[in-house]
Amino acid sequence: MVQTIKLVFSNSKYVILAIGIFVPMLIGLLILSEYIFLEPYIVSHIPSGSELGFVLIVILSALSALVIPMNIFRINILKSSKQKMGGGIFGSIIGAAAGACSCGPVGFAVISTFGSVGTTATAFLTNYEIPIRSLAIAILVITYFTTVKSLKIECNINS
Amino acid sequence: MNKNGVIIGVIAVAIIAGIAVFSSPSSETVNLDMGRTHGTISTAMGSPILGNPSAPITIVEFGDYQCHQCYNWFHNTKPAITKEYIETGKANLVFVDLAFLGLDSPIAAQASYCAEDQEMYWEYHDILYNYQGSKIDDGWANTERLKAFAENLGLDMDLFESCLDSGKYSKRVQFNTQQAKEYGVRGTPGFFIVGPDGQQQLSGAQPFSVFKQIMDSMI
Repeated sequence: MVQTIKLVFSNSKYVILAIGIFVPMLIGLLILSEYIFLEPYIVSHIPSGSELGFVLIVILSALSALVIPMNIFRINILKSSKQKMGGGIFGSIIGAAAGACSCGPVGFAVISTFGSVGTTATAFLTNYEIPIRSLAIAILVITYFTTVKSLKIECNINS
Repeated sequence: MNKNGVIIGVIAVAIIAGIAVFSSPSSETVNLDMGRTHGTISTAMGSPILGNPSAPITIVEFGDYQCHQCYNWFHNTKPAITKEYIETGKANLVFVDLAFLGLDSPIAAQASYCAEDQEMYWEYHDILYNYQGSKIDDGWANTERLKAFAENLGLDMDLFESCLDSGKYSKRVQFNTQQAKEYGVRGTPGFFIVGPDGQQQLSGAQPFSVFKQIMDSMI
């Protein structure tokens, strides 16, 4: 497993890609979930009782930054099918969508635009924020192990 | 004789109508100051003022009783503001509804004004944020629960129920929500901190340090 990660990230292009996914995703989700505020000045704040949500965002961002470059590596280097890429992207998107709505500007815009349908969708994403993020993490973990297994076979890596 | 009878009759009807109007529960006196503004914000239809009405700073909070970020602000930031600014007379607070998150949000806001009729607005407001459910529209703020909260506070239930069931404050909550949108509030909680020389808009459940810095610069 470590060898597979080393193989992918020995190429600096994939390290840069991972950083390029992790940093914007982490900061974006922390802003949307109100752990970071930009105005009137930049300040970070983890309200009591919101620690789990914060940890899930960090895990989600880290896994996305790990899994997506590995899948791109598979596609680029091994010319594999793009099928397994879907798991990483899907996991990242549903994880990001959960909790991004809520009572903030995104939820407000969705509800104002889509009315009662928006209200229902926002309520669902807010109510099940933790389970949805956990599901997204599970999808990313499965995608990670599938990708590692696939790379081991295709690159003849001995574990 | 007939003329006098008619005049006496009219007076009697007017007196009876007056008594009926002033004794009716649906026309309970509400302390609405229609000209009440803080900075550029009209708070006439909002909550009563918490704290010293002549404090130099007013925090206008736009919130939704089902919003978990409002819950976070209520539990993490508001206590320090209350202790250092409201209780010391440096600031006061007005809550204005931006009830948009779910079907129970406007009803909960209406219930708070029904409690205001019995001079228990802030007590009821606190109960709603203390007992906020983990999910939007899961029943924690349905009519039955709102009545149960009122009963726990020892409110006159006949008055409270007639107020809530009649939708007496439905228009007031709608007006507040509409006004919040017009002031550019795009989520809850949203704040305007109004000082003697200007006002500052804040979005989200920001920490106490942010409020402190803004308010200290205004005093």
